[in-house]
Amino acid sequence: MIDSSIKRCVALSLEKAHIIYWVMAVIAVVAMLQFPRIEIDTDPENMLPADNPQRVFHNQTKQEFGLYDAIVVGAVADSQTQATGLFTPNELTNIKSVTDYILTIDGVIGHEVMSLSEVDNITQQTLESGDKAIRFNWLMKQAPEQESQAQEVLKHVKNLPLLNETLAAENGNAVAIYVPIVDKNQSYAISQLIQDKINTLDSKAQWHITGLPVAEDQFGYEMFVQMGISAPLAGLAIFILLFLMFRSWSYITAAMVVAMFTVVVTMGLLIGMGFTVHIMSSMIAIFLMPIAVVDSVHIMSEFADRFKEGQDKREVAKDVVSELFTPMLFTSVTSTIGFLSLLLTPIPPVQIFGAFIGFGIILAFITTILFVPAYLSRLSDETLIALQKTHQAQLESKSGLNKLVSVIGRIANKRQVLHIILFVGVFAWSLVGIGKIEINDNPVRWFKESHPIRIADKALNNEFAGTYNAYLVMTDTTTRPDLKMLFTGDNMGSSIPESLKGWAAKQASRFDKVSGSEGEAEPSLSELTFAIEDQLFMVEDEDAIKWLENTLAKLEAVAKAEKRFVQPEVLGYMESLQNHMAQSGLVGKTNALTDVVKVVNRELKSGEAKDYELPTTANGVAQTLIQYQSSHRPNDLWHFVTPDYKKALIWTQLTSGDNQHMTAVIELVEQFVADNPLPQGIEVNWAGKAYINVIWQEQMVAGMLDSLLSAFVIVFIMMVLLFRSVVFGVLAMLPLSLTISFIYGLIGWIGKDYDMPIAVLSALTLGLSVDFAIHFLERARATFTKTQSIQQTMSIMFEEPANAITKNALVVALGFTPLLFAPLVPYVTVGVFLASIMVVSAMVTLIMLPALITILKGLVFGKTANANNSNSAN
Amino acid sequence: MLDVYKGLKVTTKLTSALFMTAMLGMSSQVIANEAETAQSIIKKAELAAYYAGNDGKSQARMLIVDSQDRKQMRQFTILKKDVKDGGDQKMLVFFSRPTDVSGMVFRVEKHNGQGQEDDRWLYLPGLDLVKRISAGDKRTSFVGSHFFYEDVSGRATSEDTFELVEQTDSAYILSAKPKDPSSVEFSRYRVSIDKKTFLPMEIRFFDAKDNETRRVESLEVETVQGFPTVTKSKVTDLVGGGYTLMEFRGIEYNLGLPDDLFTERSLRTPPLEWLRK
Repeated sequence: MIDSSIKRCVALSLEKAHIIYWVMAVIAVVAMLQFPRIEIDTDPENMLPADNPQRVFHNQTKQEFGLYDAIVVGAVADSQTQATGLFTPNELTNIKSVTDYILTIDGVIGHEVMSLSEVDNITQQTLESGDKAIRFNWLMKQAPEQESQAQEVLKHVKNLPLLNETLAAENGNAVAIYVPIVDKNQSYAISQLIQDKINTLDSKAQWHITGLPVAEDQFGYEMFVQMGISAPLAGLAIFILLFLMFRSWSYITAAMVVAMFTVVVTMGLLIGMGFTVHIMSSMIAIFLMPIAVVDSVHIMSEFADRFKEGQDKREVAKDVVSELFTPMLFTSVTSTIGFLSLLLTPIPPVQIFGAFIGFGIILAFITTILFVPAYLSRLSDETLIALQKTHQAQLESKSGLNKLVSVIGRIANKRQVLHIILFVGVFAWSLVGIGKIEINDNPVRWFKESHPIRIADKALNNEFAGTYNAYLVMTDTTTRPDLKMLFTGDNMGSSIPESLKGWAAKQASRFDKVSGSEGEAEPSLSELTFAIEDQLFMVEDEDAIKWLENTLAKLEAVAKAEKRFVQPEVLGYMESLQNHMAQSGLVGKTNALTDVVKVVNRELKSGEAKDYELPTTANGVAQTLIQYQSSHRPNDLWHFVTPDYKKALIWTQLTSGDNQHMTAVIELVEQFVADNPLPQGIEVNWAGKAYINVIWQEQMVAGMLDSLLSAFVIVFIMMVLLFRSVVFGVLAMLPLSLTISFIYGLIGWIGKDYDMPIAVLSALTLGLSVDFAIHFLERARATFTKTQSIQQTMSIMFEEPANAITKNALVVALGFTPLLFAPLVPYVTVGVFLASIMVVSAMVTLIMLPALITILKGLVFGKTANANNSNSAN
Repeated sequence: MLDVYKGLKVTTKLTSALFMTAMLGMSSQVIANEAETAQSIIKKAELAAYYAGNDGKSQARMLIVDSQDRKQMRQFTILKKDVKDGGDQKMLVFFSRPTDVSGMVFRVEKHNGQGQEDDRWLYLPGLDLVKRISAGDKRTSFVGSHFFYEDVSGRATSEDTFELVEQTDSAYILSAKPKDPSSVEFSRYRVSIDKKTFLPMEIRFFDAKDNETRRVESLEVETVQGFPTVTKSKVTDLVGGGYTLMEFRGIEYNLGLPDDLFTERSLRTPPLEWLRK
């Protein structure tokens, strides 16, 4: 069955070559036509599915509290200006003029820009009468002209906890401007405009532009460049390598056509299906390029080996493909499984990456089977004869690759017990290393240390309370009493006066409208209050007035009870939580409603530190806040609390975006809440990018373990089926198990953080490195069947087969090396580790398997070395 | 009676007119005259909007709606008395809702003379505190609404230069430019004044790029005791989104409010007899 279908494939390839060429050309063109629709996605948030509960909550929080992604412009005094700081008339004039310029840029949310010249100062002003008046005034409406006035601005900032360490460093050596933007895809263009403006300034400060939208936009740009550079470079590296092996341009074109076709069609399909290109999917081309040529290399190698002058090229091609079909199919399928196992991670970009590479590998296999035989059999006789000669010469000369392989062979066949002990030792060492793995990621660290984004990140976090934000949202979950009943008269004691029945029924019906339909909210308390008041103006009879006033009082009581975040008990809890966070040293600073209330309270009273405290009553808090709302920016209040006072947040500034850092803060808060029960009905949840990063990281670690384990089990079952032997199945899995353990052990020992690219490597290592074991075991068994001698088998194994394995390891490893020169860290990581994985797993296969086979020969081949049984595997 | 707010207006008190209204002695002013100049129109509008009656009372309620359609409410009673028509004024604002700010009082002594600042006091029962408020910048929010303090306290007509740019059957349309552009957030505004009542019916503010940023509208006008009075007005924030609706009722003019009502004593001890409906 299988044999006949293989033959049909080969026949199709050889007889309908022109049709195959044309079909491939058409498919490739259609795929390429999709390219212009490419959409880059660099939002780390998309590591989570759109319906992920934490992500939904994060976005809801952003919406409710009016939080925007912001570009951060920072000016930092360098060593020359350190003595005077930035609070000089000249530098403040620069800040003012940059701010004014920013306000004119389209796409900037002007009324939310935070800068010294755009925020309010709250102070005491002594009047002529001697009275002290509270004063809301622009902090720096005009840039100061005198040194002393400039220092005055700094003094004011230091007196306002919400601005201190956020807009200006306490020592006056740095100033920041926060620029919220409408669409983060414009962040690069906007930051360029700002940079151009900065370039025109006469400033002694170092200016930096950063912030997540800039980082993401920049990352997208660099990713695009990488796809344009790294993938072709990988192609070039492979091309050169193949040339060194076969010395014939036209011959190796076969492999290159397969690689290019696979990459183009896979990417075209990805883009055409409307998927965005994320950091992971941008690496698809680079992954597919080396993997796609591996099958072709097998066929080409074998073809070059077998073809002799005067033979029928077609017959040779048929023989070669028939013989290699099964191992190629199996290695392709195992690699595909390794990648498809990524579908088990709950991270959409990783799933897409796995799915499309899996598709690409199968496509490469099919293309190889259909295209390569046709192409090879159409080459001129001269080309093939020249090729054959080079090939033989290379095999005979014991130099380069061949020399290396024979050295490995000599090592592998001596002191085998020692090797096994060594491997066990390495395995143990690896396990200890795995225990040391630090799970951590930080999207800003995806840039190299020398990148301007990293430099700005470092400089600003050094001067300010932190540019990484997380929001601890406190929500009152108490349910509102049934207000409809107030208007239906049930259970509420007071019966509705006759004259109001019609009116009350109408009010009650406003609740009904809502319950079924979406979007319409229940009538708000203020709407109901207004309705009752309107009615109060219309009615005359005493009963009605009494009933209305009574109902109004009930509504007011509900309204008052619902305003949890003016209650001193609730604010007091917030304050002590903030103090606890500040004392831990983990957070740069927290900002919350409590700080707003305390500042205004202080300025309403003496203006001195002793009055920097919360009022003792809810009314006191509410009246303080209404003063704050009498400023130039009343809506700033809604960044800290919702207008119904049922939700508030603690804006937490962190000086690093490391997940470990955020995790420590989360644990700190959890512990505090466990030790100090939250006020009745209040619950806390986190939002903010720093938190979202922790969530997808956690999901990834758990997901990767799942995908690794399931891929392991599936591949093991396949191995047992392929070899029809549990022993061979186990043997096939050993080299990759050791390789994976070793690589992750190494990561643990050298202290490299376990981040997204590292996590992704586990599953695909499995798919790639099992190939070597399959080839080795397959051929070792076949050879043993012929020779019935372990020694002879091993010596033959270290000629052709080991040579082929080493060749393939090198092709794949070197194919990934262009990644080492990428400016983005994840690419470098993937390049380094994949290259090491290839080399290590080839070495382990070539040294460990001979040792095990030799030592366990009875178990492996059976006492009588049952040749018939093992034959059936093929 | 929102005259209380007279004098408070920005647009030359015009906006406040939107709130309040009041035309005193207006019959003469009501006669539209083709020969009106920008200056005479704006002066009449100032009187119509801010100086109706010798004194007055009004109950006001505001519905503040933000860009996400979330609502807040404010309710207060305004008492006002003119010291001199077109000149100084005294005003008290007693808050009743939300209930947690109930009892809060604003007291203003408005000085309409050139270069004179208003005197402002605040009483916060929750903190048991009477506090002076610095005159400072008047273009700050009035208790969190989209109205500015200056919409309430009145912007002197001398702050801007006016030009009559258009006349329709029912309205004069004036263009105004601030004399000191750095003191305000707009670069010009355009006010439409009713030819009959001289009440400003719409004021549109524009920024430096000539985008409309803010709009103040008189939505309803009623004649109370002979004074055309704005009973419903609206300010819309065209930049950040959101609007505030303000409604007046229980308007009465010429109640004979005593002078000693407008003193610090009324802050801690509200004059209940004048606050009843």
